[in-house]
Amino acid sequence: MRARGLFILVIAAAAAAGFGMPHLLPGYLVNILTEALIFGLFAMSLDLMIGYTRLESFGHAAAYGLGAYASALLLLSFDIPMLIVIPMAAIITGVVAMPIAWVCTRSTGISFAMLTLAFAQLFYASVYQFKDFSGGSDGIAGIARRAGPFGIDFFQTKIGYFYLVLIILILSFLFCRSLVASPFGQVLAGIRENEVKTRTLGYNTRAYRMVIVVLAYAFGGLAGALYAPLAGFASPELFFWRMSGMVLIMVIIGGRGTLVGPILGGAVFLFLEHELSALPMVRELWPLIFGSIFIAVILFAPQGLWGLFRSWREKRRIGVVSKPQSDAPHAAS
Amino acid sequence: MDFLGFLITQCLNALSQASVLLFLACGLTLIFGIMRIINFAHGAIFMLGAYVGHTIVVLTGQFWLALIAAPLVVAGIGALFEMFLLSRLYARRDGGAYLMITFGLAIVLSEAVRLIWGAQPKGIDLPEVLTGVVFLLDQPFPIYRLFLIGLGVSASIALWQFLERTRTGLLIRAVSQNPEMVHALGTDIRIVRTGVFALGCGLAAFGGILATPLFGAYLAMGNNVVVDAFVIVIIGGMGSFLGSVIGSIMVGFVQVFGAYYFPSMALSLLYLLMLTVLIVRPGGLLGKEE
Amino acid sequence: MPLLECRGLTRNFGALVAVDAVDLTVEPGEIRAVIGPNGAGKSTFFNLINGMLRPTAGSVLFDGKDITGLAAHRIARHGISRTFQLTHLMPDLTARENVRLAALASSPGRWRIVGGADILERAGEAADRAMERLRLAPFASMKANELSHGDQRLLEVAMALAQNARLLLLDEPTQGLSIEETERAVQILREMLNGEDLTVMLVEHDMEVVFKLADRITVLHRGQVIADGEPEEVRQNAEVQNAYLGGFD
Repeated sequence: MRARGLFILVIAAAAAAGFGMPHLLPGYLVNILTEALIFGLFAMSLDLMIGYTRLESFGHAAAYGLGAYASALLLLSFDIPMLIVIPMAAIITGVVAMPIAWVCTRSTGISFAMLTLAFAQLFYASVYQFKDFSGGSDGIAGIARRAGPFGIDFFQTKIGYFYLVLIILILSFLFCRSLVASPFGQVLAGIRENEVKTRTLGYNTRAYRMVIVVLAYAFGGLAGALYAPLAGFASPELFFWRMSGMVLIMVIIGGRGTLVGPILGGAVFLFLEHELSALPMVRELWPLIFGSIFIAVILFAPQGLWGLFRSWREKRRIGVVSKPQSDAPHAAS
Repeated sequence: MDFLGFLITQCLNALSQASVLLFLACGLTLIFGIMRIINFAHGAIFMLGAYVGHTIVVLTGQFWLALIAAPLVVAGIGALFEMFLLSRLYARRDGGAYLMITFGLAIVLSEAVRLIWGAQPKGIDLPEVLTGVVFLLDQPFPIYRLFLIGLGVSASIALWQFLERTRTGLLIRAVSQNPEMVHALGTDIRIVRTGVFALGCGLAAFGGILATPLFGAYLAMGNNVVVDAFVIVIIGGMGSFLGSVIGSIMVGFVQVFGAYYFPSMALSLLYLLMLTVLIVRPGGLLGKEE
Repeated sequence: MPLLECRGLTRNFGALVAVDAVDLTVEPGEIRAVIGPNGAGKSTFFNLINGMLRPTAGSVLFDGKDITGLAAHRIARHGISRTFQLTHLMPDLTARENVRLAALASSPGRWRIVGGADILERAGEAADRAMERLRLAPFASMKANELSHGDQRLLEVAMALAQNARLLLLDEPTQGLSIEETERAVQILREMLNGEDLTVMLVEHDMEVVFKLADRITVLHRGQVIADGEPEEVRQNAEVQNAYLGGFD
């Protein structure tokens, strides 16, 4: 594979930086970095749907919120170690996503986007409705990172938690990378490019779409499950459509269909936002700047920043000037 | 308490709520029906209408002038956005791109509003004719809400007649059916698209001003209301004008009666209604399935 | 036993009867052409066989099994592949990836979620063979939408071939091609058909193409079969000449 060299480099750099960094930084910065990695994981999970299958979800906050509330409630209600709660919360999110996937994949395109949005908003509203259970608008506070099993308590510390998130992110990335290159991933690419044709080739495309929705929710839930013990609370805002919109933006700016792009997009965005909030002048203007950058990326670099970088690198490798992009519609329209 | 009187006031409340939502939803469904664009900035446009209206009232003291001028200003902004940004995406034939660029616009507009008008909520003073109450079966009812109902009814009829009966309306509907054909027949569809987008934005802004005397103009108003508008349009069937009218009335009633009888469930009721409709009819009540 | 048998196959669109009680059998190894003027119901007929449309009445038997009204992907799995009148490809994938996806459809490993490089490898080899037959090997690594129109048509045939189907439905394989491109395509298709034991049904507009490729011809007119026979018989059939050849420019 062509990208292998660079890929190993990126992973190695990320790991080296990751494993050295927390010891050099003040504590609050470690937390911000951790949250940035979690957001990167969240964006990557959405990329499975948007970039690899062209299922434009506008309700991915549902996955994040479900994961966060599941891990919060499990940690507060039962005496289960955090290391077990986190994968459990991801699995719960995936299970809850099954009926959602069944309903949403009846439609495609805009209807699909609207159905995912409807489910996310329904969860948002339910948090307010079942106050005793969910804490209503106050959310759930006082979530602690519980030690164990076997008395492992390293991951309770800020730095330990950072490592935990980093390891989970790298493993998830490796899994997703293998997934998109697998036979299953090839069928997803077929669905993305031309679903009717893929179906006539003999694939039950709706079943494939359902599976990828459930997997994307499970990984989104994993990100949410990591967020709750970090922040110490879970709030209804995690389900709100702005959250869905934000993560969608991260995927697009980073570069859909690249996995790496959304991870970097999500992480860098969150990090910048935190850092720039410290500067009063910039804080005022930041959302405006950020919105404008987003519009510019959609207009001028629809393949996203990582996609832009990748095609630039390919061009250099081949050593030819690429043809101007043709505006003609695809042959299969 | 007199139950009949109570019922009538609640129904009128629901209808006046529906009227405000109607303007928002009609703009949204018009833009979608003709251009296949989901305008996520619709809530921000609604809010912009409210703030521009507020400024016009402050500067001139004329509510009626604001009611006409503010939608025109906002429609102009919508037209500029369509001409310079949105139109670059048409060749791409990617529905997701529209959703995202209008989401970007929503962010930029909300932030611009915050920078220009600040975080404090703003109100609009009504002219004397519209203040005060009338008594219906001994129940007091604000005149302004009656005014809203009248406006909603007359605007729906006017819009419907415009789309069904006039040449321009015919042209607009033809663009939604077959843009290439309309283009081949010698009409510049670029103008039609710009016009439709501007009209949709103008309608939303109109709704924004109308809502301000009731709830004030505040920064979250767009975020809160845009989802209601989506619910309406999805329930009614995306692109169906009549569907939006029906959807607005349904949502108005669910909100008003839900808030009274099931206060804790009011929000969920709305989304449950939407999901039920979508599961039974994936294209909405009067929509076509894609 | 015939490979394909349609009995009274009918499809209405409202008041319009697009396909009207069509009886038709295709024997194994046969190359059958379905011809007819525009709007005769040829593409609808294909859509009924491969499950993209449900018939209003009648039945389709494939290899003795009733496949009427099954979902399109199930019918494909029974062994019927098709091409489309308007090219249907995965535009952003390479030519080889397109054909490989077709070859993968018959592999039990198509649900492998991680890994599976060996499964893709084998599907890739099958894809290479299919592309070889249609002389597409030189373009394997080009994106499908960068191929010439003629090669895109052939790429779709290669996909149908790679599916390892027992019946190929080709919907106007030379549609939209120039005279030279058509000649080349017909030659390549003939070589392909001679080289394999295939059963093919093709819809075609171009009579030259039909007479060069088909063993047997069925003529559809307003949804009904008006003639069925060897190419020479059909050519001389007066009704056909009236309905179709006479009106052909």
